[in-house]
Amino acid sequence: MPDTQALVNEFVLKLKRRKVEGSQATAKQTAELLRSVISQQRVPPHTNQAGVLIDAIKAVGEQLIAANPVELAVGNVVRRVLHIIREEDLSLATTAIGGLGLSAESDNEDNVEQDDHPGLSAAVVAAASRFTLRAPSLHTLLEGIPDAAAAHHTSSSGGDSEGKSKSADKSLRIRKLKHDVIEAVNQLLQEIDTCHELIAEQAVEHIHQNEVILTLGRSRTVMEFLCAAKEKKRSFRVFVAEGAPRYQGHILAKELVARGLQTTVITDSAVFAMISRVNMVIVGAHAIMANGGVIAPVGLNMVALAAQRHAVPFVVVAGSHKLCPLYPHNPEVLLNDLRSPAELLDFGEFSDCMDFGSGNGAPLLHVVNPAFDYVPPKLVSLFITDTGGHNPSYMYRLIADYYSADDFVVAQKSSAE
Amino acid sequence: MWRRSASFILDQQQQQKEERKKTTTTTTTTTAMATTTETSSYQNPNNNNNNIHHPNNISAYYQTRAAHHGVVTSDWLAQAQAAVGHDVYDDDADHVVRSSADHHHHPFSVIDEFNRWRKQPDLAEAVAAILALASVIRSSQATTMMELEIELKKASDSLKSWDTTSISLTAGCDLFMRYVTRTSALEYEDFSAAKSRLIERGEKFGEISRKARRTIAMLSQDFIFDGCTILVHGFSRVVLEVLKTAAANKKLFRVLCTEGRPDRTGLRLSNELAKLDVPVKLLIDSAVAYTMDEVDMVFVGADGVVESGGIINMMGTYQIALVAHSMNKPVYVAAESYKFARLYPLDQKDLAPALRPIDFGVPIPSGVEVETSARDYTPPQYLTLLFTDLGVLTPSVVSDELIRLYL
Repeated sequence: MPDTQALVNEFVLKLKRRKVEGSQATAKQTAELLRSVISQQRVPPHTNQAGVLIDAIKAVGEQLIAANPVELAVGNVVRRVLHIIREEDLSLATTAIGGLGLSAESDNEDNVEQDDHPGLSAAVVAAASRFTLRAPSLHTLLEGIPDAAAAHHTSSSGGDSEGKSKSADKSLRIRKLKHDVIEAVNQLLQEIDTCHELIAEQAVEHIHQNEVILTLGRSRTVMEFLCAAKEKKRSFRVFVAEGAPRYQGHILAKELVARGLQTTVITDSAVFAMISRVNMVIVGAHAIMANGGVIAPVGLNMVALAAQRHAVPFVVVAGSHKLCPLYPHNPEVLLNDLRSPAELLDFGEFSDCMDFGSGNGAPLLHVVNPAFDYVPPKLVSLFITDTGGHNPSYMYRLIADYYSADDFVVAQKSSAE
Repeated sequence: MWRRSASFILDQQQQQKEERKKTTTTTTTTTAMATTTETSSYQNPNNNNNNIHHPNNISAYYQTRAAHHGVVTSDWLAQAQAAVGHDVYDDDADHVVRSSADHHHHPFSVIDEFNRWRKQPDLAEAVAAILALASVIRSSQATTMMELEIELKKASDSLKSWDTTSISLTAGCDLFMRYVTRTSALEYEDFSAAKSRLIERGEKFGEISRKARRTIAMLSQDFIFDGCTILVHGFSRVVLEVLKTAAANKKLFRVLCTEGRPDRTGLRLSNELAKLDVPVKLLIDSAVAYTMDEVDMVFVGADGVVESGGIINMMGTYQIALVAHSMNKPVYVAAESYKFARLYPLDQKDLAPALRPIDFGVPIPSGVEVETSARDYTPPQYLTLLFTDLGVLTPSVVSDELIRLYL
């Protein structure tokens, strides 16, 4: 597919150059790219169609993730799309088996399952294969993984066997799977688009009259969240820490004032001084990890610690595309982006201190400008996503809903093998 | 302090009342409650709730553990053998679950079967229990599912009461019973097919458990980074597998092993690790806080994972977790999911005590009491993550899993 490859390359280049800002934009563009990959992918007949699609997405996904490993939203969307393909394939196979179980006895599928356990009805096979999408649980431990695997095998090759028996149905079936998958990806895109609104709807439940809210930097989700509460006639004050070195808090303050909110700008270093009069801290996130930890804009760990010191609830608002099924293995070192020192220091003024020509060849002045902080799960009081409020220790449940366990290692596979 | 609390005094009064009743030996039963406790104590000679200081009340579970993992001295071995043999002999009289047919020459006993499996050092306790229950099904003469279920229930009850101290035994029995009574696949089959299917599943379980250890080892690899120092406590097959895999993956790490008194299971672990050329340092159990600042993570196994997400493990785990928590070090638990037990201990004393003999090397004066409990309970807030074959879990997932299976 030369045309999709060109698209992929273009997006990879953009990611590498950090041209795409913000996880929402990234997630959206990734999903759009993957959608076009799916629609361009030619699925040869007599093969495992879902497998072909999954392989194609995985190949593209690996490139994208490698292009910007820090932007976890890319990986998340890739995994979501993989999950969608598996789910659609399964639902198609289930309906197919259901129909065949009644009519055709000599069909290939029935033979496969009869080899394993005679007399199992189609419903059981479908139930068992549904287990493969879910995370493993105590129940499946004894129920037997071999069953589920066998059933999954049946279902994924379902198109194949059916193709042999009824070749008229075959092309229709292929188109149906692709069509369903693209439809579901469109839904995902819509979900990414509307996640702000869904989160903002919950604002009145959390923000009360005359409260003082503190936030740091600028996050669109937070902005919409605050404005939604304002629109519902809540009057409250917002403290905005400016969020050095990019000072996006200034922009947020301006936006809030434009919407008629009482806003106070403070420096980042004044957070601890002000926290005692704050009722709630509401911040955005870069990514939420599987253990409930947060990769957040730099400075937030300090805010979280201050909030904990004064027992102020620390609330993180984030769309579900920021939910990442990985664990932060060494969060202080990994998953951080070092940005340009130009954000901290003006080039002209400090250029002689940073001169490589002086002294022993290395400059005496160094600038480190990390983009992210890791906030451990015990400092977070609540996550608000588009599906509602969640405790940090229950993020795993959302993850089990959104991703299938086989896809967690999309990128790591390529590096390990 | 709590000895003065109302609930304790109430408990004590009840106990004293019972004891008085026992001494008078009048069979007139006044309170229903007292009767039930008495009869239950007759049923289990091994019941450790009464007469804690009785010398024979040692936990069979920890005996086996010590026999498998301890540094075995000859006299200890003799002692353990005697104790195990004695137990079996004792219980044979009371607890033989006879298969309904009397024409067998050797009456079939779950407990014998269980002990046979349990003696294999590579087999986990829960697996031994499930294998024993599977053999109950095989020798059963039941003709209906209901009969089989009742028979299994009896067998699992006798197994559970035979060794109340073993959490994974109880968990294994519960898991298998749950499978038998609940599994949806059985509804579609006739009885003999269902029976053979149950046996087959039971026997495959040994394989599953071995696979579980592999899965856990794979999952934990990402958490062990080059140059880290790992503190381990006691001997756990899963933890050994984790470290073995890490060593095989050419990771560079150092292990600090606690000694693991009194059965010195830590020595055994250090022995195994030294064979793998992993740098090991042995600590006495009291040196944990002293060395904690050079430790990057604590790795422990578990005898049982309880509903709160906390773990029950060898004595000393709790204090290590406390020290690690206060120094902000992660505590990782490696445990197979069949160790998830439906228990909710509220404090350390809220468990059937598992006792074991402790050798102090010198004679203890007769007036001095010895704390002989073999295990403690570590609450979930001191644990960072659990590595199980179900994935890497936060402690709160455990209750979720248990609820999903049993409710």
